[in-house]
Amino acid sequence: MHYALHYGQVTPYLPYLLGGALVSLWISVLAFAGGLVIGLLGAFGRIYGGPLLSRLIYGYYIFFTNTPQLVQIFFLFYGLADFGLLLTPFEAVWLGLTLNAGAYLIEIQKAGFLSTRLSELEAAETLGMSRWQQLRFVIVPHIARVLYPPLSNQFIIVIMGSSMGAIFGLEELTGRAVNINGQTFRALEVFSLAGVIYLGVTMLATVGLALAGRLLLRIPLRIA
Amino acid sequence: MHAVIEQWPRFFSGPNVLFLATALLNTVLLSLASCCIGLALGFVIASTRLTRSWALLPLRLLLIGLTEALRRIPPLVVLFLVFFGFSLFQIDMAPFAVALIALTLIATAFIAEIVRSGFRSIPREQWDAAATMNFSLAQTLRHVVVPQAWKIVVPTVSLFFVMFIKDTALASQIGVLELTFVGKSFIDRGFSPLLSFGTVLLLYFLLSFPLARAGQWLEARLASS
Repeated sequence: MHYALHYGQVTPYLPYLLGGALVSLWISVLAFAGGLVIGLLGAFGRIYGGPLLSRLIYGYYIFFTNTPQLVQIFFLFYGLADFGLLLTPFEAVWLGLTLNAGAYLIEIQKAGFLSTRLSELEAAETLGMSRWQQLRFVIVPHIARVLYPPLSNQFIIVIMGSSMGAIFGLEELTGRAVNINGQTFRALEVFSLAGVIYLGVTMLATVGLALAGRLLLRIPLRIA
Repeated sequence: MHAVIEQWPRFFSGPNVLFLATALLNTVLLSLASCCIGLALGFVIASTRLTRSWALLPLRLLLIGLTEALRRIPPLVVLFLVFFGFSLFQIDMAPFAVALIALTLIATAFIAEIVRSGFRSIPREQWDAAATMNFSLAQTLRHVVVPQAWKIVVPTVSLFFVMFIKDTALASQIGVLELTFVGKSFIDRGFSPLLSFGTVLLLYFLLSFPLARAGQWLEARLASS
């Protein structure tokens, strides 16, 4: 039962771990961007597409939100090889994170778009706004304000999901922690350090996004 | 695709189906147990955070810190910490127990927040009224808060449970015989990834989708009553 924590052996690796955090952040940004595009197209398809298209998109949403992200990435990583499509770990993890985030973002964005109230549009029309002005001053600001908080939440979820990259040999934060553990056998120190870095990254992202929302969209600050 | 059709009969042989069924059972047990223990512990944590005594302040701060951290550190990292923690202290534990402890920690953190928001849904006046009648915190919870809050807490926790089934897939990484682990082991035995992971995905879906629907039904049902 005697184990002394020695962070000294792990601290030289701190820059390496922080570099891994950048990789985590980078793949999360790319996946979130991809997910936003899928979500946007999907939300429009759900609202304006016919019953068939809407059903198909709903099926995609239901399937991806009811199965584990890890198995989805496994399926892409090993399964697509059967079709002669060899994905690198980065590509497979990115695609998995994107498709998964995209599914959640469809319903989030759909709810956001449908939240525009008719009374707001009528008020805009009464003020003599053109179609473009309505879009610019009423619809887009309203939707942006409604969508912003759930979107920033989803981004944090993508960052946490990116840690699964370690399982596919991607050298992001968790992957690098696994590497260091293999060299130093200081598991508790390495993984607790990685945990603290994740904590820092997600906290910074939350606070940064909340501040950006306050400045750009005048969303009241409401952290925690 | 050719391999899928060719391997189909061999894949769904008796032992393999039994293997999959065991894995499915383990996935259900792992998620159910961690959420049940998590509900009990989450209730204790949420109640502790309601106390006002100075003596308990360090405990409250510790609990706030722990719940916040466990909700922001990826489940995989928590799992590795618990897994290597036990092995470093040379405590011999079955992978299932290690995964259960790690997942319970995570579930507790999330459920504590759900219970806390359930508590907060009770209007201020009722807390004040209970305090005026000289109710202790335990009495207030027992007679005023819980009889109303459970209608919000129970459906939210059951929806969390459905979400959490998917997080138990990570337990495959420390060798727990659950669905994802079995999917991986089929690949190692030469089966087509499309077939094995396709089957595993389908099983997760068949498990999660009806439960999600039931959770939504429960939520709507209890919200209207």
